[in-house]
Amino acid sequence: MEIQEKNISRDNFEQCIKCTICTVYCPVLAARPEYPGPKQAGPDGERYRLKDPEFYDAALKYCLNCKRCEVACPSNVKIGDIIQRARLKYDKKPVKLRDRMLAETDFVGSLATTVAPVTNFFLGLPVTKKVLNATIGVDEHRQFPKYAGCKFESWFKREAAPAQSQYSKKVAYFHGCYVNYNNPKLGRDFVKIMNALGYGVQLLEKEKCCGVAKIANKLIDRAKHDAKINLASIRAAVEQGMPLLGTSSTCMFTMRDEYPHLLDLDNADVRDSMLLATAFIARLVENGKAKLVFRSDYHKRITYHTPCHMQKLGWAIYSLNLLRSIPGIEMVPIESACCGIAGTYGFKKENYTTSQAIGKELFDSILAANVDLVATDCETCKWQIEMSTGVPVENPISIIADALDVEATIKANRK
Amino acid sequence: MKYDSIIIGGGLSGLVAGLRLIKKQKKVAVFSLGQSALHFSSGSFGLLGSVDGHLVESPVDAMGSLPAAHPYSRLGKDHAASLVAEVKGFFADAGIKLKGDAGRNSSRVTPLGMLKPAWLTLEDFVTADDLRNKKKCTIINFKGFLDFYPDFLGAKLEAAGMKVNKAEIVLETIEHLRKQTELRASIIGRTLKDADIAKLASQINAVAVDSDVVLVPAVIGYTSDKHFNDLRAKVNVPVFAVATTPMSVCGMRMQTMLRRRFEQLGGTYFLGDQVSDGHFAHDGRLESIATVNLGDDRLYADNFVLATGGFFGHGLVAEPKKVIEPIFGLDVEVPSDHDLWVDKDFFATQPYMSFGLSTDDKFHPLKDGKPVVNLYAVGAALGGYDALKEDSGAGVAILTALNAADIIAK
Amino acid sequence: MNERKSPKSYDVIIIGAGATGAGTARDCAMRGLSTLLVERLDFTAGATGRNHGLLHSGARYAVTDQESATECIKENMILRRVARHCVEETGGLFVTLPEDDLAYQKLFIEQCQKAGIDAKAIDPKEALRLEPAVNKDIIGAVTVPDGAVDPFRLTVANVVDARRHGADVLTYHEVVRLVMDGPRVVGVEVRDAKTGEKTVIESKLVINAAGIWGHGVAAKAGITINMFPAKGALLIFGHRVNNVVINRCRKPADADILVPGDTISLIGTTSSRVPYDSVDNMEVTQDEVDILLSEGCKIAPSLAYTRILRAYAGVRPLIASDNDPSGRSISRGIVCLDHAQRDGVEGFITISGGKLMTYRLMAQWATDMACRKLGVVAKCETADKPLPGSEPEQGDKVRSTKAHIIELSTEQRASLGRHGTMADEISFDDNTADDALVCECEQVSVGEIKYAIEKLHANNLVNVRRRTRMGMGTCQGGICSCRTSAILAKKLGDKAALADLKSFVNERWKGMRPVAWGQTLVEANFMAWIYEGVCGLDKNEQK
Repeated sequence: MEIQEKNISRDNFEQCIKCTICTVYCPVLAARPEYPGPKQAGPDGERYRLKDPEFYDAALKYCLNCKRCEVACPSNVKIGDIIQRARLKYDKKPVKLRDRMLAETDFVGSLATTVAPVTNFFLGLPVTKKVLNATIGVDEHRQFPKYAGCKFESWFKREAAPAQSQYSKKVAYFHGCYVNYNNPKLGRDFVKIMNALGYGVQLLEKEKCCGVAKIANKLIDRAKHDAKINLASIRAAVEQGMPLLGTSSTCMFTMRDEYPHLLDLDNADVRDSMLLATAFIARLVENGKAKLVFRSDYHKRITYHTPCHMQKLGWAIYSLNLLRSIPGIEMVPIESACCGIAGTYGFKKENYTTSQAIGKELFDSILAANVDLVATDCETCKWQIEMSTGVPVENPISIIADALDVEATIKANRK
Repeated sequence: MKYDSIIIGGGLSGLVAGLRLIKKQKKVAVFSLGQSALHFSSGSFGLLGSVDGHLVESPVDAMGSLPAAHPYSRLGKDHAASLVAEVKGFFADAGIKLKGDAGRNSSRVTPLGMLKPAWLTLEDFVTADDLRNKKKCTIINFKGFLDFYPDFLGAKLEAAGMKVNKAEIVLETIEHLRKQTELRASIIGRTLKDADIAKLASQINAVAVDSDVVLVPAVIGYTSDKHFNDLRAKVNVPVFAVATTPMSVCGMRMQTMLRRRFEQLGGTYFLGDQVSDGHFAHDGRLESIATVNLGDDRLYADNFVLATGGFFGHGLVAEPKKVIEPIFGLDVEVPSDHDLWVDKDFFATQPYMSFGLSTDDKFHPLKDGKPVVNLYAVGAALGGYDALKEDSGAGVAILTALNAADIIAK
Repeated sequence: MNERKSPKSYDVIIIGAGATGAGTARDCAMRGLSTLLVERLDFTAGATGRNHGLLHSGARYAVTDQESATECIKENMILRRVARHCVEETGGLFVTLPEDDLAYQKLFIEQCQKAGIDAKAIDPKEALRLEPAVNKDIIGAVTVPDGAVDPFRLTVANVVDARRHGADVLTYHEVVRLVMDGPRVVGVEVRDAKTGEKTVIESKLVINAAGIWGHGVAAKAGITINMFPAKGALLIFGHRVNNVVINRCRKPADADILVPGDTISLIGTTSSRVPYDSVDNMEVTQDEVDILLSEGCKIAPSLAYTRILRAYAGVRPLIASDNDPSGRSISRGIVCLDHAQRDGVEGFITISGGKLMTYRLMAQWATDMACRKLGVVAKCETADKPLPGSEPEQGDKVRSTKAHIIELSTEQRASLGRHGTMADEISFDDNTADDALVCECEQVSVGEIKYAIEKLHANNLVNVRRRTRMGMGTCQGGICSCRTSAILAKKLGDKAALADLKSFVNERWKGMRPVAWGQTLVEANFMAWIYEGVCGLDKNEQK
């Protein structure tokens, strides 16, 4: 390369020309003005941190990591990554017990699932909420996601796995903690659709939590440890010719982008093979390689909420196209906005007000849309929207599964 | 994925092209790397403000005197004039109300109180015509807001013979913001609620008792003109906005409204995705493009519009000794001696401002000397004009976009 | 003659407010002389403001010039004490590249030690650990006590202390004539740049500390000093590339020092003789940019792709020995001339040569000579008494902040770094909106700008920039110039403020122009949109 032909820096830090567009689209800045905003927390602050780590500003913890700043940046600066890496590098405060508990979604999940009815009962009690609020700082307004009595993995091994070998085409499925512990139905819906399309489903040899919550709570070594295990399993699946599909936009985003950007794990060899299920199916349909047939008696008025990480992935089009292809669905468009939950962020007592203030714009437009159902690809957005609007929320995969005419679809895809 | 047309670039020219096309085609997609230069809008569009340093009275008439390489000359004066006639209606369809007349330039008032030629101006913004015969003006600012300049503006108005009254407004909502963070136009625009507009109006009425016009910083109404209209309805004298230094709240508004209309009509807008490469057929046509987010799901279209902008939008990238078009490697011709790109005087004509893609006379960019016949370059990616010196940036963006869309839809 | 005369006369008038002039004013005032400092432009407007900002350990001169090396290391240690807030103790490395002769390292260390410079050879691997930006192919490395010094802060601190000791200060006053009484200088005639008014000010003694312009000052007394302007060009990078000074271990040559300074790093310098009449307008050429980059990349390869903010050049005042008018035997050492002895002109001293590092010693020499001439007996205390801003901290001065979630806002911390203990005088009052941020890149608040205007002789945007770093960051004033201009307009009036704004934008462009490619060109483009497009500033006078 010729000298000065390109300006290259990590996270495109130097591409910033201080145009300030990112600050316009930061959901936190509007709701919690003491957050310095993406420009100052990101590239501006970075110049100072390079001079002296003392300039690290504790307020960076208010960043949601929604990446809306990166989506808005005309110069392709990875503002969110700069902020998150600064937190990981310079914030030396020890991780709180509460944050650990929120972050260890798989560990806590596996404990809770075994005694699910008890857990749900206790988590639902006002007194428990008050105790959590006072002792470890989980906000008392929060409704905890319910824990399922039977893990998805157990169901899959028992009920689904044996039948999968009959399919010649196969995909690997990353179910994530949410499907495993809280909503196994979504996993079952995924298997149902894939099987109807003529694809067998396999689980990864070993699946760990994607790590999004651990990264957000600075448990970086734990996140890296899990990520390496996931990547090894994903590589094994891809080598066997299977793409890796997921039903959570956040898990997929984390494994595709946060692994290389924040955990320094190179995933370039498998990145394009990691897809959201809706993206995979929409591409099959678009290319005439699969056909979805829907029931004629399914009628719903729906709006689609684009989760921040989905916005960053740029894949909302796939979920939207699939939903639009269901004849009984009336789609009401709303403008993309952050719901405010940002994974474990909104669960923390100190963030509750901010979280709800950020989401207000979205909640208002959902209520105004007067819909039966909100579709979204992220589980934490689902909790937040259901709690804040009372409108039920479903993953597009579950909506498709509900609307699907399974027999007709199987027939249409059998050649 | 397959589209009828794909537009690369989601700023003014990209959105105009997209909006024009979606009215005639079924599947149109716009890809935008990030938010656009509309965020620095002055509130006015220029068509042709001056030629060779001389102010132009009628921009349409003056188009005839431009050099052959100028985009307007390549459109042809008559064709350009017929497109110009459609622009007001085109924006009104997206809910954007503009005033002005291509037969005669008006003057917009800058944040420093200067006058600059303008073609179309947002209804809420002030032009010199709005101040004619006005005797006393009240200039409003918010305490602690640094991107609006009542002293500079007031001095110019006084020099023009007006009496000027300056008032600093303290609104609780903005005070709260100010004590927490940096007051920028955009965050004020986002934060003001209906109730604040009512409070603002009553404070203005209290300070502007004997004024016959009120000027406010353009921070009101970032997704629609509703708040500004509410303010007008509540204030006893005519109220106009004056541009602030960035961010431009009205620019954010125009961006939002154009995109909203495009999506309402069935267009797909991909924000924050970077087009990474293109596949060309043997005959030189652009077959498909790929983007960073969509990976190996290539995007096919019959026609493509390149609305990636100039240097700011990264439609052009300057290396020390050459300028490149970064997506497709299209032809760009500039002198290799860097000293010839720039003038020592910042305010003199800067040669780099007129750099752009080499195209044929139908705005097809050249690749290795041959035109790409299903690709159309529009807006600031084009060369041969100096948007700043001529006050022609918006005009070139809009007219070339409409022209490209019309050819494609034919 | 009907001329305006200042009612006050002084013991000593010092011409030129670079580091040397300011330092001399401080020293004179501290020794009880009634003192006036006059400057044709602004503090640090000459070579003081256009160099590396390197706190030399002296190692660079150890092999070629032991005297300079010894002076440097002594002053280095003094400045660490008395100018704490202007100095950053980064440490320095002298690295040997594969193409360099490693044998030079041995000689280098010997000579350093002889001069009293703590130079130690270390394993190149250790050097890479100390400073990862260093070329990983180096074959040798030596640590030395280099550092960074901010010449703007240093000079202003000297001015502030001179004033505290009773000195008067006039900026934007050019000396147009030396007032002579026969063969004796008895004062100066100055012209106020703003009003054009001329005034005669009397003094017992005049000290010429005008750097390269001292040539012309001396000429006003009919004296010839053989000065040779040597141009040195430098490049400023957008952020810190290195945190330790990197030098090349070879005989001093082009582009062999990379210095971290505040939020940026800079590489320099080139060295070329220029005609005397060009010293007021130094332009950096493409060739100079090319040399700085190609040589700079050798010591720190990341410079090949780091964004460059701007290029600039300064002029060193090199003085030929009196017995060699050809200028071949040039000294980089201090030259203190008693013109009574040398030229038979009484009441006139020239202090020149030297370098930023030795400004204090130069001031001491000049003041010693002045005291001798005036018959004053007073000890020099500038090596012991800390400069304003560098006094020992008194208790906990942390104030309440804008954002109560953090202890100290970034702009407060940044201003503490810039003004040391003097930062106490800056208002961060949120009731007057003084806490609002003007320059976002360099974290300068309204209060700090007001402080510079009210207390630090800042009369225009360039002055404010030198006092605060406003406009020195990534956007090069794109966002903050207009905001600052509006504050200055309260002092200058709107017409003058707007003219100043235009000239400031042009001054920023001057440095960006030689490196206007990549994002620096985009930045310039953005700046043009804001100032010419949105704001409507243009080439012509406004209607």
